[in-house]
Amino acid sequence: MNPTTNSLGTVRLPEIAAEADRSGTLNNVFAIAGVVIKEMYRRKDFYVLFVLTALITLLMGSVTFFNQENIVRYLKEICLFLIWGASLVITITTAARQIPAEREQRTLFPLLAKPVTRNQLVIGKFLGCWLASGISLLLFYLFFGAVAGAKEHEWPVLNYFQAAVLHWFMLGIVCALTMLGSVVFDAPSSTNTIMLIVSVGILLIGRHLNKVALKLEEPAQTIVYAIYFALPHLELFDVRDLIVHNWALIPWHIWAAGLAYAVVYSAIFLALACLAFRRKAIN
Amino acid sequence: MRAYLLSVFLLVMVAFSLATTLEPWFQSWAGSRTQSDNVLQVALGDSRRMFARHFFTKADAYFHKGFYPTIYDRKEGDDDKAHIAESAHGEHDEEECAEDFLGKPKDWIDRFSRNFFASRHAHLGDADCGHDCCEKAKEGKGHDENCEHKHHEAGHHHADDGDADDDHDQPAKTGLEREILPWLRLSAEMDPQRVETYVVAAFWLRTKLGKVDEAEQFLREGLRANPGDCEIQFALGSIYYEDRKDIARARNILELSMMRWREQEARKPEPNILLLGQILNQLAKLEREEKNYPRAIQHYTLLKQVSPNKEGIQSWIDDLKTNLPPGAVTSPR
Repeated sequence: MNPTTNSLGTVRLPEIAAEADRSGTLNNVFAIAGVVIKEMYRRKDFYVLFVLTALITLLMGSVTFFNQENIVRYLKEICLFLIWGASLVITITTAARQIPAEREQRTLFPLLAKPVTRNQLVIGKFLGCWLASGISLLLFYLFFGAVAGAKEHEWPVLNYFQAAVLHWFMLGIVCALTMLGSVVFDAPSSTNTIMLIVSVGILLIGRHLNKVALKLEEPAQTIVYAIYFALPHLELFDVRDLIVHNWALIPWHIWAAGLAYAVVYSAIFLALACLAFRRKAIN
Repeated sequence: MRAYLLSVFLLVMVAFSLATTLEPWFQSWAGSRTQSDNVLQVALGDSRRMFARHFFTKADAYFHKGFYPTIYDRKEGDDDKAHIAESAHGEHDEEECAEDFLGKPKDWIDRFSRNFFASRHAHLGDADCGHDCCEKAKEGKGHDENCEHKHHEAGHHHADDGDADDDHDQPAKTGLEREILPWLRLSAEMDPQRVETYVVAAFWLRTKLGKVDEAEQFLREGLRANPGDCEIQFALGSIYYEDRKDIARARNILELSMMRWREQEARKPEPNILLLGQILNQLAKLEREEKNYPRAIQHYTLLKQVSPNKEGIQSWIDDLKTNLPPGAVTSPR
């Protein structure tokens, strides 16, 4: 066994050193993530969107149609639509400003001199944004569950759990993609705009690209079909219709496969973000 | 400084003069939205019709529990008439209903994604399991002796394929058709001239939800927006005949509806023959029940001219001519 020397000059065995490095890496990543989460609850974005969602939902819930009680599905649909919109905005705007803000405020150099590696920085920022979006999503879904339960007198907790977790993992893909965007594009505003268009575009037409492709002539058909297979299918995670219309639970193995699909795409985009950031001049 | 002040004063004067000329013209301009009291009309203009159509379609999608074709799923020659409207007009086609617009999965993503959205044909209030036997049980016909689902309660809701928790104890959900109402209301708000919205909403209100007063009120609202519309009058007449059992008033409204049909539809290149058939059929039934056989025969004779079921109607006429009791005559549709 070859002894190794750490930064303090003490001699350690390689296994101990590797474990210390791993724990140091995790500490750095979680420290950066913690800062991002704190930033989210200091900023007003979430509160504004939450209050807006709650106000619109409660206002719509107070309307009666033809003196008929217990009409709830329209309310669930509106509330979930607002939650989806708000969560996308929160996630994209939070993720898009992380690295450019560090650079603009000139805090990136001291951060990287800690020592925090560039990969740790990107992964820490991603984790922070993803966890922050998860926290906001939890509050949104608690509100949704309360409103739907009050009107419907039912609590399909497992269905809501499946929907919320799928939603959160979808935000993971968006978050990783936005991190990549924030490294490639310089201004957060352009990252925000492009990522919003891309995400909404995939949500709207991702499911139908194969049908569009089949109606096209070659080589356009192959190109569009290739795009269809390469795209992260964010719409897979949009199970709002199942929740609104009280459909049965998604089989758990299918649900888990959906999460695995999200993890793979998040990892790909995060790896690309790390690669791009390592090659990027930060001064 | 003086030159600037004079320039500003001149511009103000020009603006004032233009305003005095343009304002009276604008007030009398046919395209001015200020003549409308409806806030939505002022804000959205004619685009509200598009929204109205969207909301009407949304109601139909709700009727199918979210299982609904998008513009990418429609094939050429597909009838885009809403099923809720077909049910209201008594022309619901079970074969069409059973059609699966999704077809077979085109690839693995397509197959996988069908677990994450409503991908099976269903209607509000259906037994969620999709078992035919459970549907029959819900209709009160019960399960067969050897049926594997015979322990299922009528109209129960449970997950498909046994992958999730069954919920057999849940009682049959009735009146779920109420969920389509907000979208129909919104559609009528957006486009008060869309007659179909009133007729369809009134049909579901009175037949499935027992809200006869609300149905009548909504139809009257429709009549105020579309004075003398024969379709709304027919729906109103049906309420008086079938729900209120006010025969005299029903007869008056249905006859008025037929008169309006002649005024409004007969001149059109493609008149709504189905509506005329429905009015005549309703009137004939009403007169037959009132034992006013000559009038009933008169209506059936007119109905025979427009109906594809000429032999059937002739047999009813023959039955009436021999003065058979009304109960002996099957109800024509």
